[in-house]
Parts: sequence; structure tokens; C-alpha cells
Amino acid sequence: MHWTQTAKWASTLALVLLLGCPKPPDGPRFMGAGHNEAQHGGTFVFHHESTVKSLDPHMAFDELSNMAIKLMFDGLLDYDNETNMVPMLAKSLPSISDDGKTFIFELRKGIRFHNGRALTAHDVRWSMEHMLDPDVGSPGFTFYTQLQGVDAYREKKTKHISGITVKDNYTIEFQLTEPDQTFLNAMAMTFAYPVPKEVYEKYPMAVSQHIFGTGAFKLQEWESGVKLVFGRNKDYWDKPRPYPDTMVYLENLTRDAAMMRFRNGELDHAHRFAPADYLFLKNSSKWAPYRAEYADINLWGVVMNCGMPPFNNVHLRRAVSFALDREGWKKARNNRLRVTDQPIPPPLLGYDPELKGRQTYDIAKAKEEMRLAGYPEGLPEEVDMWIGHGNTGRFYGELTQQDLAKIGIKIRLKPVAFALYLEETGKPNRVPMMMSGWSQDFPDPADFLDILFHSRAIHEHDSENRSFYRNPKLDALLDKGRIEQDKEKRRVLYLRASEILAQDAPWAFMWNDLKTEAWQPYVKGYTPHPVWSEMYRDVWLDLPRRRIAQAARRFKESFFALLGPLHKGNN
Amino acid sequence: MLRFILKRVFWALFVVFVVISGVFFAVRGIGDPARARFGPQAQQSVLDAYRKQHGLDRPIVEQYLSYIGGVVQGDFGRARQNDQPVVDVIGARLPRTLLLGAMAMFFELLIGLSVGIIAASFRNSYLDTSLMALSFVGISAPTFLTGLLFLNWWAFRLGWFPVGGYGLGLWSSIYHTILPAFTLAIFGAATYALLIRSELIEKLFSDYVRTARAKGLSPVRVILAHGVRNALLPVVTLMGLQLRTLVSGAIITEAIFAYPGIGRLAWESLNTWDDMMILSVTTISCAAVLIGNTLADIAVAGLDPRVRLGHS
Repeated sequence: MHWTQTAKWASTLALVLLLGCPKPPDGPRFMGAGHNEAQHGGTFVFHHESTVKSLDPHMAFDELSNMAIKLMFDGLLDYDNETNMVPMLAKSLPSISDDGKTFIFELRKGIRFHNGRALTAHDVRWSMEHMLDPDVGSPGFTFYTQLQGVDAYREKKTKHISGITVKDNYTIEFQLTEPDQTFLNAMAMTFAYPVPKEVYEKYPMAVSQHIFGTGAFKLQEWESGVKLVFGRNKDYWDKPRPYPDTMVYLENLTRDAAMMRFRNGELDHAHRFAPADYLFLKNSSKWAPYRAEYADINLWGVVMNCGMPPFNNVHLRRAVSFALDREGWKKARNNRLRVTDQPIPPPLLGYDPELKGRQTYDIAKAKEEMRLAGYPEGLPEEVDMWIGHGNTGRFYGELTQQDLAKIGIKIRLKPVAFALYLEETGKPNRVPMMMSGWSQDFPDPADFLDILFHSRAIHEHDSENRSFYRNPKLDALLDKGRIEQDKEKRRVLYLRASEILAQDAPWAFMWNDLKTEAWQPYVKGYTPHPVWSEMYRDVWLDLPRRRIAQAARRFKESFFALLGPLHKGNN
Repeated sequence: MLRFILKRVFWALFVVFVVISGVFFAVRGIGDPARARFGPQAQQSVLDAYRKQHGLDRPIVEQYLSYIGGVVQGDFGRARQNDQPVVDVIGARLPRTLLLGAMAMFFELLIGLSVGIIAASFRNSYLDTSLMALSFVGISAPTFLTGLLFLNWWAFRLGWFPVGGYGLGLWSSIYHTILPAFTLAIFGAATYALLIRSELIEKLFSDYVRTARAKGLSPVRVILAHGVRNALLPVVTLMGLQLRTLVSGAIITEAIFAYPGIGRLAWESLNTWDDMMILSVTTISCAAVLIGNTLADIAVAGLDPRVRLGHS
């Protein structure tokens, strides 16, 4: 074999392949047909990078599964695009008694499950009792413990929950033990969605395979790990919705693959981009009309264990909260986050951009707090900080290391698997410091403050209050906030709670995630939803001849792409 | 010949049994199927109920015997993630992997044999050198790299093929399968090309080819009828061995192209630690490789009596 020649030919071939390659599409491959009115028909394709765990609304507790469940089910209540509560299966918002303990819902008439049976108030009660049955093991039961008689029911002392009463076929009453402003939020969660009793009784362990909701789409096919296919529910109560004939939910698509498919016109909606794709989208003028970036309602920060040294010292915690350069982190993350300085994320009640004592980056203050803490020369020993196992955890861990080194706190990063992280950080006196976050279950400040900072959320195992912060004054404020019916008074209570938390610093509050989404030009009616991930309720497709258009464009693009230098892009 | 075949089949079944047993104890020993099903935050009562219902609370040997008993009767159990029968899930995926494998095999033979024959016919020319250089590139390039490059060039940049997935309907499915099949075929095609070239060159210098030439036969006929025909024997053996490469390569290829076949199922099962799926996919892959090797052995033994008599 002539090796010199072989090398020559191989390198020439490699050069031809690399240089002769056309540019990737820099804008959408396909445009809309130009309709102004919503059109029925077409197939809408969307994706996620992981797998749907369950289609049973009583069991699913992850946003991927909820995306699918929202297509097939409706609840009594839901949220509009401004996080306002709106009725769905309920005819209107419930009537509430003066003491705030009784809620009466009137159901819409004529709503049917996908198996054809009419929905009644008995289904609502059965569904709630099924979800709250301890043998079912729904992870959502904690949201409904304020219902009268739940404890006795869960202890099997009663057959029914005394706080749920069916008045007639279309009227149901809920009685609480004490007023609770989050009860309606809980009723809008998927756990409270009515399901058909007969299916659950027939397939107790395989409900996901035989799912019948009252929603806009019916499940046609679920190939786990590959795709879910939903067909239009022609008998849907909220006409003219839904618009597409078919919804295809592709599972397990990596971010890179999803972006390539999206730019190739094979996906109609894309989200959660890799850094390079994010920068491309952000800088692309051609995609500008078809993308959105907005703050997710969540909270991220550095959590310090107030129950164990060294962070049982409030001055040391404050020093950390002043020493972290939030704007610097934002730049390091390509501006993919929204810096925050307080525990309540916008736009929730109690968020105040001018909050008193909010946590800002100030090295002089941080050093002063180190002095007050008794460590003017810095901490004598390294502190363990638990982070996630992936690159993102390490990235933020290293930023913490760099920033805290400036005030003499040395951090030793401890990357651990998520399951171990959950288990160990939920026990007292185990983990001094960690990176943590919380995403809303529903848009209310109580969903953040009660869960993350109330002493009630501290246990020997599985504490959600992972900073183990205890403050009776804060507990009292949160307890009042939960029952207060006057919105302004409630706002003031949460404002005060936020001030206490910002100053006591069980967390160094760092950022709220920014979420980026993009959709094809022919996708209409899509608006990012503040509560639900990817809400496709109003989506319609403006591409009646999409297949022909795709084939013609693809041929044209390929032809011009092969011309190389003459190729002028895809639009 | 019958004794030879029975011996090979028995040996293949024994290997499958050993593999199932090994994988069963390894998978059950490492992971907890109930925890894998319900996640790290699942309540103990739910986990206990699941373990009881699925016999996971019984001694491991009892579980093993029960599983083997089921397999013998064709019951591979139910998937942990969605409780579907494993046989149904695999039944949906297997035809896709078979299509991918068949198309890859077709590309391998078409490209490999053509390149090898052309190279041998023009041996030591620039054409031969460049084709052999390409073959070396094909053998050396890892599947994940060629897969990503093809995906980038032909699907993403040129838009000739879908970026991934699997179509609905026969033609759409074939269209979606072309690029992954081509990727999967690269290594095999290069291997066939190198093999057929060297075999053919050797045959072209043999006495019977010289005789054929002397008889005045056309060069094409000499190469095809006398050269290629006799050079094909090692190709049959290689085809059996290539099946193993197709099975292992399919895992990577299907992952890259998000192609929902058995390979991707294996990948997903490992990610979700679905022990029932891992066991079944391993069994099927192992069986596929053994069937391929056994068929190749039988074919070679049929063609060459020295093999079945135990001579080298």
C-alpha cells in the first residue's frame, strides 16, 4: 500500500467534505399560509428530553407528565395567562363562605369523559377520595390535608371524607378545617382532576394505559420512551377548541437533536436549548418573531444549614449572601438567568423590587459581617457544599468557590446523585451548605415560603426546609398569610416575611430561571404560560398544505445549498 | 451434517441460558426495580405494595426460577415503567431494528462488494489507492462520529433526510431508516471491501483464472464468473460475524438518530433501570448474534466439508 498517497487522498477527501458542506439553515424552513382565523387540522409535534412517567393525574408529579395530562384532562379550575384563576369544568369560580372555610362548586353540564360517560359531582368526590387514599400513594395528598376529615379517612376510620359533600349531580361542597388561601390553587393542580371511577377500578395498576379524561385530546398511542400520540376530542366542551387533529409528543430527544429537528422543520415547538443553540436563537433576527424569553416562577440559591456550625451564625450567612456576585454569575451564564435578591419570585404576591434589606452583592458589607461573625481572617476550615452530579451543579459550585474565597471561606464541592442529595439534605445536621432550587406547584407565595422556610417543614427525614431555619415570628407571619382573605393585607404579611428571610439569610437568594422557547412561523395561538410548561390549549396550525410546501422547499434549498458560494440562505 | 447442526444449536441455547442467568443476578443485585419504577421520593408503602405484587419480596433464587419459567413459556414479564408486556414493547421495536439491520446489510454488501471488486480490478492504480484509503477511513471512524457527521450534513444542513426518528407507513419508515442504516453500514462495507479485494486479487492470479483468460473470455466475465464467485466464501463467514457488529452498532446508531428500535430500547432501559427490559433486550441481542454465527457456521460447513469434519 502506498501510504503517502493514501494519506494524500484521505486528507483531500476530508477537506472536500468539510469545506464543501453547505451552511445550516439560519431561519425557519417553512412559513405559514397566511390565515388570520384559527384553522382546524394538522399535526402538531412537540418534545421533551426525558420520559413521561405517568399519565395518571393522581400520581404524576413532574412537568413532563403534566404536559401530557393537560392535553387529556381538565380540572375544575385553571389559570389564564396572567396567573388569574379561571373556571374550567366548574361553571364559575366557587362561592366561598364568609369564614373562608366552605367552597361550593357548580359543574358545567354536558361534559363527558373520553369513554362517553357524563361527568358528575360524584366523580369529583370519588376522584378526590381516590387520590387521598393512602393505598394509592399519591404524592399530591399533602396539598389537601386542610380538608375536613382527611386525617380520619387516611387512617381508615371513615369511608368518605366528611369535608366533601355532593349536593346534587352538578354541585359539590368542600369544607376546610380552617381558612386557606391556597385551597383553590390545590384544586387547580392535576391531582384534583376528575377521573372515571370505572377505569381505575378495572385497571388499578395500569391506569396510564387506559386513560380517559375530559380534556381536548384523547390518547391514541403511547410508546414509552418514544412518543405519545393524541387525537382530537370532537366532543370537547370548549368549542371550537382544540384545533390540531393530532398532537405528537416526542420523548427522550436530547437538546441537540431537538434543536436540529426544530431547525429542520420536523418539530413545531422547541425549548430547553443547549448554550450554543440558545445563543444562536437569541442572535438570530430570522427567529426573533418566533421566540420568547421569560422568567420562570422558581427560585435558586445557596442554602446554608442554620442548625449546624458554621452557618448557625447569622452574620456568617449574611456574609455569604453579600459576597456572591449575582450579576457576574448572570454574565457567566450568557444572561440566561434573572438575578434575584429575595425569596418570592415575581410576579407572585409579596415580591417587591425595593424590598427592605434585600440581598445584594457588596464585598465591604460581606467582610464586615465576617468580622461580626468572629472570623475577620476567614473561616479556619473548609466547608462542604453539596451540588448536583452534572456540569451545571459544578459550574455554580465553582462560582460559589471563587466568590466566597474573596472573604476567606473555602468551599469543598461534593457532587452527588440527585437521590442521595434529596435523602441526605432532608436530614438535620448532615449537610452544611448546598445549591438548591424550588419550582412552583402553584402561583402563590405560600408555595415557596411555607415549604422552604416554615419550621413545620422540618422533620427527621425528608425535610423540605433544607436550611433548617426556625423562626417563630416567621412561622406566625406565614400562618396568618395562608388564611388572610384580604389581598393587600396578605401582601404586607408576605412582604414582612421576605424581609426577615432576606436579612436572616438561610439562603443566599440568587436567581430565577429564564426560559426560552421557539416555535415555527406557522404555529399560531401559542403563548408561553406562566404556570404550566408548554400549554397547547389554543394552538392551531396555519399550514394546510404543509407536506407539499415542505417537499418543495426542501428540494429548492438542497439545490441551492449544493451551489455552495451562491447559496444565500434558506429564506 | 445434522449432528453438526444440532451441536451448534445446543451450544447456542446454552450460551443464551448462561447470559440470561448472569444478567438476571447482575441486574437484580445492583438495582431496586421498585425504586426505579417510582423514583427516589416514593413512599415506602407504595414501594412495599409494588414489591409484594410483583414478587420482588421473595428470595432472589425464587425470583430467578420464576423468571426462567416464564421465559421458557414465552412470558418475559411486564415493563417496569408503564406495565406493558415486555413482549409487546419488543414486538413494536424489533421490526424497526430488523429493517435497519436489513438495510444496513444491503448497503454493506452493495458498497463493500462493489468497492472491493473495482479496487481489485484496477489494483495499484490511483482509483484502487483512493478506494482503499476510503475503506481504511470507514474502518477507523467510530460510528458515533460518522453518525453525527452524516446527520449534520445530509439531514440538518442539506435537509435531504429527516434528522431522526421513525416514520409512519412503510415508505416514510424506509426514508427515515436510510441515514442510520448507511451509518451502520460504513464499518461493514469497508471490511467487505478490504476482504473481497485481497481475496479477489489472490484468485485472479490463480491457475484457473489464467486458463479462463487463455480461453479468450472477456475480462469482466473472468472477474465475475471465476474470480468473485470463488472469493465469496470468506464473505459468508464474515456476514455471520457482522451480525454481532450490527447488533452492537445499532445501540449507538439508534441513540444518535433517536431511532426507536431495540438498540434505543436497551439504552432507555439502562437509563431507567428497567430490569425486565434489560433482561429481554440482552437475551434478544445475544440470540441474534448466536443465530447469525450459527447460520454462518452451518453455511460454511455446507460449502466446505472440511469444516464440519473438524479440519482447519
